[in-house]
Amino acid sequence: MSENMTRRSVLKNLAGIVGGILAMPAARTCKAAVQNVLASSGAPKGYDPFQHKWLMALDVDRCIGCGLCVEACKAENSVPDGDFRTWIERYVITKADPASGKSRGETFVDSPNGGIGGFKTSLIPKEDILKSFFVPKMCNLCEKSPCSQVCPVGATFESPDGVVLVDKNYCIGCGFCIQACPYGCRFLNPTTHTADKCTLCYHRITRGLKPACVEICPSQARIFGDLKNPVPNDPLQAFIANNKVERLKQNLGTNPRVGYAGLDEEVR
Amino acid sequence: MDATILTNLAENVPQFEGYVYPNERTLHPLWSTLIVVYPYITGLVAGAFIMASLVRVFKVKALEPIYRLALLTALSFMLCATLPLLLHLGHPERCFEIMMTPHFSSPMAMFGFVYAWYLMAVLLLELWFDYRRDFVEWAKTETGLRGIIYNAFTLGVTDISPPALAVDEKMGRIISVVGIPSAFLLHGYVGFIFGSIKANPWWGNVLMPIIFILSAVVSGMALCVFAYMFLCWARRITADMRCLDLMTSFLFYALVIDATIEGLDWLHRLYSAEEGIEVLRNLAAGKLFYTLLLGQACLGTLVPLLLLGSLQLLRKKVSELNRRRAYFTSTALILVGVLAMRWNVVIGGQLFSKSLRGYMTYKLEFAGAEGWLLSMALIALPFIILTVLIKLFLARELPTIENVVPGATPPPKAHPATA
Amino acid sequence: MDKLARFFKMPPQIIRLVLLTIGIICCYFTARYFLVPPSFGEFGHYRGDALQMIASRQPFWAGKASCLECHSAHADKLAKGDHKTLSCETCHGPGREHVENPVVKLPKLDVSLCVRCHEANPSRPKWLHQINPHNHYTGNLCTECHVPHSPNDVP
Repeated sequence: MSENMTRRSVLKNLAGIVGGILAMPAARTCKAAVQNVLASSGAPKGYDPFQHKWLMALDVDRCIGCGLCVEACKAENSVPDGDFRTWIERYVITKADPASGKSRGETFVDSPNGGIGGFKTSLIPKEDILKSFFVPKMCNLCEKSPCSQVCPVGATFESPDGVVLVDKNYCIGCGFCIQACPYGCRFLNPTTHTADKCTLCYHRITRGLKPACVEICPSQARIFGDLKNPVPNDPLQAFIANNKVERLKQNLGTNPRVGYAGLDEEVR
Repeated sequence: MDATILTNLAENVPQFEGYVYPNERTLHPLWSTLIVVYPYITGLVAGAFIMASLVRVFKVKALEPIYRLALLTALSFMLCATLPLLLHLGHPERCFEIMMTPHFSSPMAMFGFVYAWYLMAVLLLELWFDYRRDFVEWAKTETGLRGIIYNAFTLGVTDISPPALAVDEKMGRIISVVGIPSAFLLHGYVGFIFGSIKANPWWGNVLMPIIFILSAVVSGMALCVFAYMFLCWARRITADMRCLDLMTSFLFYALVIDATIEGLDWLHRLYSAEEGIEVLRNLAAGKLFYTLLLGQACLGTLVPLLLLGSLQLLRKKVSELNRRRAYFTSTALILVGVLAMRWNVVIGGQLFSKSLRGYMTYKLEFAGAEGWLLSMALIALPFIILTVLIKLFLARELPTIENVVPGATPPPKAHPATA
Repeated sequence: MDKLARFFKMPPQIIRLVLLTIGIICCYFTARYFLVPPSFGEFGHYRGDALQMIASRQPFWAGKASCLECHSAHADKLAKGDHKTLSCETCHGPGREHVENPVVKLPKLDVSLCVRCHEANPSRPKWLHQINPHNHYTGNLCTECHVPHSPNDVP
């Protein structure tokens, strides 16, 4: 009885080992087939993300509110109607009523269709306006981005070269990152059903081109550069050297890298 | 984006008052009714389990009649918990990613593991250890599909000797003890999802996980009372008043703690009046007037507090029938009130812009993926599952200890062959 | 089962559960082997391939540099005046088709383009030359008095 069991158990073990060895190539082929859906290879060819650190800065005093940047971004990145990877806000601050003892009156903010098509003249009469200006908005390239912190699967991340990107083949569309962004720069793309946002035109900057909004802006309100590889007469270095810079919602601790020159206290 | 919204964006559409970030101008809130239903369901699970653990861990004998019912309630809601999430995802077919490559800095990544742990290692295990003896016995006496089910659930272990049963008892207690923090984790992480969003002043604060857990416990306990009363009514038997009185006592004290912490949250907000308080105050008094002030605060909290509280003091003077009516009303109000609370947190947090300058209005649709028909169906589904579970595991005809199943027949005398 | 139970000195139901747990954990790790993408974790908690995927999109705007390859004369003129901050495509529209095949010409421009930036608006900064299109000139073309490539000159 015990002899039969020993022989049987040995044969069983042998069969198991042989089966395992035979199954390995099959398992590997299976794995390759399954992962083909998600695979290709490595970083962009010839481009080392660790050698660059991209940054965009915004000069509020140079923005004329033409809205061409928003249109350029839309064309470049096929941004769906009603969603915005970048947009322009108009702030109109009215004069204070002297009796109120305040220094400023009310602030009115608007962004009609994100600024696409420009801005019609404000309904607020000119004589009531204390000051008014345009502010371009975009992803703030946070160092401690709350969006990538809360992504449950690792579909949105900070790339080594300083851009916050979304892997649309991996995103499950839960919307947590969209809720977590304090700057409102993310949206759910109705076509891909994934989170979407400004990519700093990653496909352009890795080829030595400028982001579409920077390219098209007529007044150099958007300044772009590579902090690790400054060029001669680098506009970004000049901006950093010559301007006092403010960042948005710094109290939240997201360490946004995008700096605004000439930012007013009313801008959120 | 809808074309009508697009053409109206140039002017101020009444749908968006003040200034709303362009990306916030959507037809529906990003996290809609489905995300209201999910914390409601997991909250009921956690609360029902706490009620059951009062029997096992704190040895409250008077609550034994509802022990199995509470666990089965927790199970039936737990089985449905993933549905609202799956239906809400942009890519539900990629849902496995949350368990394959969980990003541990994200509270949402906890979901896969916490859910699996709680379902398998806590709920199913505790149920199994409690029912194991009955499975073995019922497998012998029941025939047909039921017999197969009971047989399958024995997992092939047929030892029901006293030492084996002692092991079951011990394991059940250990799991109950482990289950309490697990229940807090199951629902607490949902509260933490909201509490961690510093971008949103309505959500991102330290009391959010605590409030979620406390209201979950309250809702789960209310559900147990409600289900027990309903089951007794359906079976035309009288509910055990001692059990009911004690359950509602615990419910009352839980509600007191819950109301205190929620009140503290509001008190602190109003007192410290940080940036955004104007927006939030207008939100609470305006858009959320009916659901927050009337629904959650008055009907869902104050009225049950008064009802249950006065019964705590005047129990002797109130007749059984009136007490039962009061309990039924209170628990129904609490259940609706906690749903209103989830609504106020989830939807309320998306009714104002992060620019703190504007508000959004959304239309609640009836049908469709964002509609309330689907959400009602998702809340109704666990009750259907509970009915099936009751028929299988709490059936009146099944022989078991009488006071553990409302209205059950007492166990048969020992069979001569097994004596 | 009894042999195992006696061997480990554990009750049979516990053994059964331990085996089940081990089975579930094995299933989990097998699933991981198949389902985690190969480049995941290369640079951080994300698919390394995603960088390549995102970077592989085709650019839409050609960029001023590619215009300057052939139209350097215009570029020199532009660089001397106030419009030096403009890119060619800001006014002339997307130029990629023309760069790839110079036979393809870009569409003629409309004066609404000039007004787009130069219409007076109280929100616009003071350094910008702004005009009221209704009062400034009631003729047809801005180009009758202004040269877009060197706006400080007259035609």
